[in-house]
Amino acid sequence: MRWFETPSFDFIRAHNIAYFFSGTLIIGSLIAIFGMGLNYGIDFRGGKEFVLEFQEPVDVVQVRSVLADPLGTAPEVKKFGSDRDLLIRTDAEGEISEVQSTLLASLSENFPGNSATVIKTDIVGPRFAEDLKIAAMNSIIFAVAVVFIYILIRFKGWYYSAGAVAALVHDVIIVLGIFTVMGEIAPFNVTIDQALIAAFLTIVGYSLNDTVVVFDRIRENSIIYKTMDFRDMINKSLNDTLSRTVITSVTTLFVVTVLFIFGGEVLKGFSFALVIGVILGTYSSLFVASSLVVELEKRAMKAKSK
Amino acid sequence: MKGQNNGFKIGTIVLFLGLTLWYLFPTVQLMLEQNYMESMTESERAQYVEENREKMQSLKDRALSLGLDLQGGMYVTLEVGTRQLLEELAGDLADETLRESLKVAEERAFEERTDFVSEFIAEFESRDPDARLSRYYRSDDENITRRSTNAEVEEYLRNQRDSAVNRAIEIIRTRVDRFGVTEPSILKQGNNRIVVELPGVDDEERVRNLLKGTARLEFRMTAEPEEINSAKERIFSYYDQTTDTAMADTMEASETEPQNPLLEALNPQGRNQYVFGYASGVDTARVNELMAREEVQQLIPRNTTFLWSANAFAEDQGFEFFELIGVRSQIELTGDVISEARVAFDPTTNRPEVSMTMNSEGARIWARLTGANIGKPVAIVLDGYVFSYPTVQTKINNGRSSITGLDGVREAEDLVNILLSGALPAPLDIIQERTVGATLGEASIQAGFYSTLFGLIVVAMFMIAYYRTGGGIADLALILNIIFILGILAAFKATLTLPGIAGIVLTIGMAVDANVLIFDRIREEMRGGKTLRAAIDNGYSNAMSAIVDANVTTFFVAVILYSFGVGPIKGFAVTLMAGIAASLFSAIVITRVIIDYLTREKTAEVSFG
Repeated sequence: MRWFETPSFDFIRAHNIAYFFSGTLIIGSLIAIFGMGLNYGIDFRGGKEFVLEFQEPVDVVQVRSVLADPLGTAPEVKKFGSDRDLLIRTDAEGEISEVQSTLLASLSENFPGNSATVIKTDIVGPRFAEDLKIAAMNSIIFAVAVVFIYILIRFKGWYYSAGAVAALVHDVIIVLGIFTVMGEIAPFNVTIDQALIAAFLTIVGYSLNDTVVVFDRIRENSIIYKTMDFRDMINKSLNDTLSRTVITSVTTLFVVTVLFIFGGEVLKGFSFALVIGVILGTYSSLFVASSLVVELEKRAMKAKSK
Repeated sequence: MKGQNNGFKIGTIVLFLGLTLWYLFPTVQLMLEQNYMESMTESERAQYVEENREKMQSLKDRALSLGLDLQGGMYVTLEVGTRQLLEELAGDLADETLRESLKVAEERAFEERTDFVSEFIAEFESRDPDARLSRYYRSDDENITRRSTNAEVEEYLRNQRDSAVNRAIEIIRTRVDRFGVTEPSILKQGNNRIVVELPGVDDEERVRNLLKGTARLEFRMTAEPEEINSAKERIFSYYDQTTDTAMADTMEASETEPQNPLLEALNPQGRNQYVFGYASGVDTARVNELMAREEVQQLIPRNTTFLWSANAFAEDQGFEFFELIGVRSQIELTGDVISEARVAFDPTTNRPEVSMTMNSEGARIWARLTGANIGKPVAIVLDGYVFSYPTVQTKINNGRSSITGLDGVREAEDLVNILLSGALPAPLDIIQERTVGATLGEASIQAGFYSTLFGLIVVAMFMIAYYRTGGGIADLALILNIIFILGILAAFKATLTLPGIAGIVLTIGMAVDANVLIFDRIREEMRGGKTLRAAIDNGYSNAMSAIVDANVTTFFVAVILYSFGVGPIKGFAVTLMAGIAASLFSAIVITRVIIDYLTREKTAEVSFG
């Protein structure tokens, strides 16, 4: 089997369409993020989260209304996989044990004969949540900085670094946007928590993989075809590596989809982010990173010649 | 030359494979043992475990351990209350200035995430630059006197905080060990945090009490019945008359006639003369709020305090009722004097109780106290709740006493544990807690296993379809790769978590990348007219720089993730790192050796699709 054996797509020419497409997604994401606010999970927001397993299926809406009064504040209730498992997130004040027993007591009162057992709890104090949030932000900024510096050293051109980092930021913003919008409608738990940060960094690593492979080919081609126009050379490099880019994307997409389907409820949000991330990462390294490098290089050369 | 080179490569492969199997062997053995035990009956299993205790323990120590999210358990982060510690250190010397400074410092340290002690010193000095901290803190051992400079006191306070955290860790370790958790992990994090991991535990409530329990035991006299009674009358009549606006706000809007708010929450009837009243569990907070008002506090005699009973005296329709009991403010004796404690049973009712023995100093005070108060009740107060207030029958000379009114044997056992492990130097606050039930853990293991299996099958089939023989060789490397990852994890005593398994699944997808790069390069070289052998040599060497660059950057990202992540996420970073190392080795070295063998020794045509 051979895909894209000797392709000759003009990726750079497509950049206007790509910029428009990416721009729309980014603006949409930013509007969603700033309009609706980031959909923080328990790790970053703090609070108390319980996963309960009932003996029989229960109605989410009913549980929500039943709990609002005794907890003093309306809890967030979502299905956790099956109809019998519910995820309940509350900001109720007070001791953990008290909240937990209040919750269980009012459920057993309202759903007699359908007892619930706690199969998972997550309690994060506001101070701890704040610490985690800062650590998460630092880690992403740090990761991007390391990538910038590494590429700068290996490929000796700031425009390579800038192109790669821009592609990463592009991926992360769009995933964040999709998560914000999906938070309201997804049937599974899509919140921004530690696992998502792990997914982000994985996407960063993955997207970078793609980008670096292309850059490596550019470096190689620029030695072989010394006279070739920079733009053409990048296009040639993209085409040379296209088969590999697609194959690796396909195999990675296979496994993250498997993870999304079979990985269990705990990993749903995480693997969902990876599915989007792999698609976006492939797209951005083909259409965004390289086009930016061409553009930035052009400007850099112009500035030099002036 | 090339042949020698391959000899070295084969040697390395055999060495790594051998090491991996060596490290994974205990894990496999343990799994076989567990399978074997599944088939046994309960009693057979208990006997088998007893007989093979040492062997099982050694296997468990060496086997790949599962994270709390897979085997179920509890993960708790505790914070040592530094403010309370510093306030207590000052003891009687503490005044309003000190308390205020500590409070401000606590808030600021939280908001600006700075060090509490530095904030405290800064705040204190900003109030009065000439003030000396040695006004509050003295220590003969540490040579802190009235002449000590603020810097010296600061160092002393820092040392005190560190030792308080270390002491708390020791105490928690003792408690957890007595609780009977296998392989707990208790670690210090940062300045004043303690991370406790308890595998296999899912009784959250009990563990929380065990970790936080200060076990502040106090013996107090009960208040005079007349005083309790007159205070009761004054307080109820105060709420009868009060119809101020603040009060109206807190009341239900639908009520037309303002009622006595205290009467709504608290029933003023008592079973005996020491009881102020009783309330259901849900109303106690409201009662506390009403009793805490300054105007109300002024109606209570200075030497009297009202405390709740630890246990419900009655139950009705799911509501439990607790009594508010009047005791003296003065503490006659504290738990420090307890030298021995054990679980005992009341000979008549057979209810569990904790029987305690005091040291000589405690016994002396206890004898004087009981001697002087025959016929009067002594309240036994634990962490602010009255457990019992038995009437003194005779003077007690041997320093014996007991705590009754406990819920069950478990509570008695935990109480003994907490009393004996010593009082915590400062209050501990649970700032994060994660519990995973054993069933969810099992479901996660299954989900992880199927994801790995299906991921492997899909990728393997795709590789064969696309690259033919080359793909098959890459698949072989891929399977070895997974075994290597597990071996690396076992060798470094890392824990396998659910995100960790996700990391392995992800590695399956990304590990073939190196082979894809190489094989594509080989195809390209062959298209350029090279022979198979030359194409293979060039393919490997030309793809190398891309492979290295791509993997080094991903490895950096994994390292960052490791240093930031908490708990299971760290597991993800670890498998990602192990995955990168293993996949580089298997994709570059192992496939090369196989391909070389096939093309050179067998002179077979290796197809790359």
